[in-house]
Amino acid sequence: MNQLQIILIDGIQYAGWLFLVSIGLTLVFGVLRLLNIAHGAFYALGAYVAAYAIGLAAQNGFGTGVQLLAAFLGAIAVGGLIGVLVERTILRRLYDHPEVITLFATYALFLMMEDITKLVFGGQPLYAFQPRNAFGMAQVGPLAYPVYDLLTVVAAVLVAVAVWVVLNRTRTGRCVIAVVNDREMAASMGVNVTAIMVATFVAGTALGAFAGAVTAPKIAVAPGIAVEVVVLAFAVIVIGGLGSIGGAVVGALVVGIARAAATHLAPDFAVFAVYAVMALVLAVRPYGLFARPLARKI
Amino acid sequence: MRRLVDPTIIAILAGALALTFAHGLMPGWVIYMLQLALAAALPALGCMILLRSGLLTFGQGLFYFIGAYGVALTQRHLGLTDAFAGLLLGALASALVATIVGTFLARYRGIFFAMLTLALSMVVYGIAIKMDLFGRSDGLNVSRLTYLGVVPGREWATPALFVFCIWVFAVAAVMTHLYLTSRFGRMLSAIHDNETRVEYLGWSVAKAVHVSFIVAAVLASLGGTLAAAAARYADPSLAFWTTSGEFVFIVLISGIGNVLSPLFGSVFLEALRAYASTHFPDEWQLVLGAVMLVIILFLPKGLGHLFVLAKRAVVRPVAGKSLPANAKERS
Repeated sequence: MNQLQIILIDGIQYAGWLFLVSIGLTLVFGVLRLLNIAHGAFYALGAYVAAYAIGLAAQNGFGTGVQLLAAFLGAIAVGGLIGVLVERTILRRLYDHPEVITLFATYALFLMMEDITKLVFGGQPLYAFQPRNAFGMAQVGPLAYPVYDLLTVVAAVLVAVAVWVVLNRTRTGRCVIAVVNDREMAASMGVNVTAIMVATFVAGTALGAFAGAVTAPKIAVAPGIAVEVVVLAFAVIVIGGLGSIGGAVVGALVVGIARAAATHLAPDFAVFAVYAVMALVLAVRPYGLFARPLARKI
Repeated sequence: MRRLVDPTIIAILAGALALTFAHGLMPGWVIYMLQLALAAALPALGCMILLRSGLLTFGQGLFYFIGAYGVALTQRHLGLTDAFAGLLLGALASALVATIVGTFLARYRGIFFAMLTLALSMVVYGIAIKMDLFGRSDGLNVSRLTYLGVVPGREWATPALFVFCIWVFAVAAVMTHLYLTSRFGRMLSAIHDNETRVEYLGWSVAKAVHVSFIVAAVLASLGGTLAAAAARYADPSLAFWTTSGEFVFIVLISGIGNVLSPLFGSVFLEALRAYASTHFPDEWQLVLGAVMLVIILFLPKGLGHLFVLAKRAVVRPVAGKSLPANAKERS
């Protein structure tokens, strides 16, 4: 197996994870025109809930399946619930504010949620390695990979397919696309824009929490995991074009493979790889690969 | 010459003079808190300039970091303890970095500008915590400063630094005020209202944004030098995005009306920090976030806007003054 194949396998694994953390962010941006910095806090919240649920299930002697089910359902439920609360109490008052104000409001939310998560779960790192260990290792050529990490890619593909099917093959999804394209026109055609916006925001935060839950068995869940995610997810979705689902897939693949290549070929520059790719793409296409050009206001 | 008798400039100079002679009357903790507030007000002033043209930056921390390391590194590697040398080197380095990255950033607006500046400062933070040159995550110590060959004795070190902080801020504030009231500076609000019209008038929007980005960077680096000198150390967390977030918070509190507004905001922030650290030592971010949200929801133009509202109630409104507000709604 040559180095190129290794880079590809590593890159695709990383891309799967990147897609999971950024899909919710890009979905929310597409519909609400709001870049949710608090997305990272929802990711961290999901990771904490999952780590806690896995620990609880393992203590009571449940198997891997129950542990993961508890982790995923718990994270999605908590993420969605907090999402509804945040949207209904705070964000909906801010939709007619300038975008920098709403951006800053989500930053304020991020700060609050990070501290509240710390208050609830404590400052000590949580570990939930049980499911990942239970899946064991898989031999790919001469190298062994944790099966769990390979399954993450499957999860990412499933989420991508699910989002695509909901958006393109259901009535609600069609309404979401209508709201993305023209909010006023959709409203005048009888689409309940407010309901669509709430539903999308909740789906976005639940997806963020789900990404955290998937990641929890791979990392030490500790304060501070949220920040990196915001910046990375932004890099991914800005490469593809904000609000574009296909763009998130392409962005995740580009960033994932670039990062894997840098890690193998020039480890010192691995930190830069993501941003270098982002700068390169933006230099050619200032608003991302799949972004629609905006009309200038005169 | 009319601009030299500007009330803002007189207020800055009078305030600076008063504080210079009042240092003996204030307890040590007030002096220290005021130094930190002055240091934080400078990068916030930079945020304010950028916000005038509608640009939210999460990258002021980067230049704050450069300013702080400007003084720390000149002491360590050039053996110069002079305050002005550190200040100047940090400012030059910041101007250089801002000129280079500004060519790329000046095209972006709104969330793109905010997130790209954020990404940039996080990259620098990521490098700094791993490099020995910057003392890794521990940071570097800053020894006591000298001023153009004058070495203040032990009991004079604190007052000397305090006076230095005041006058650096005063000079920077006066310069910024002259910049903002010049034709070039007034264009910033025009850019916020409508870029296309500004371009039709024959000005380059990208160039104006680039220049104010560099000015903001230099102001942030001056603040960084003062912060490092006051706290006696510099560490990579200065480039962390929450540091930049605090500067935006300051402007959010104070509004963007006047060059002195950020000082008002940063004094409020330092007071809030002092209060929160005694009552909620581990929940500082929670307090900060909650105050931010309350201000955004109920006073979107900042606490400083309370003064404007009060003034409006007292002073009879001038007919022409309502025009800009209408123009904003239309765009």
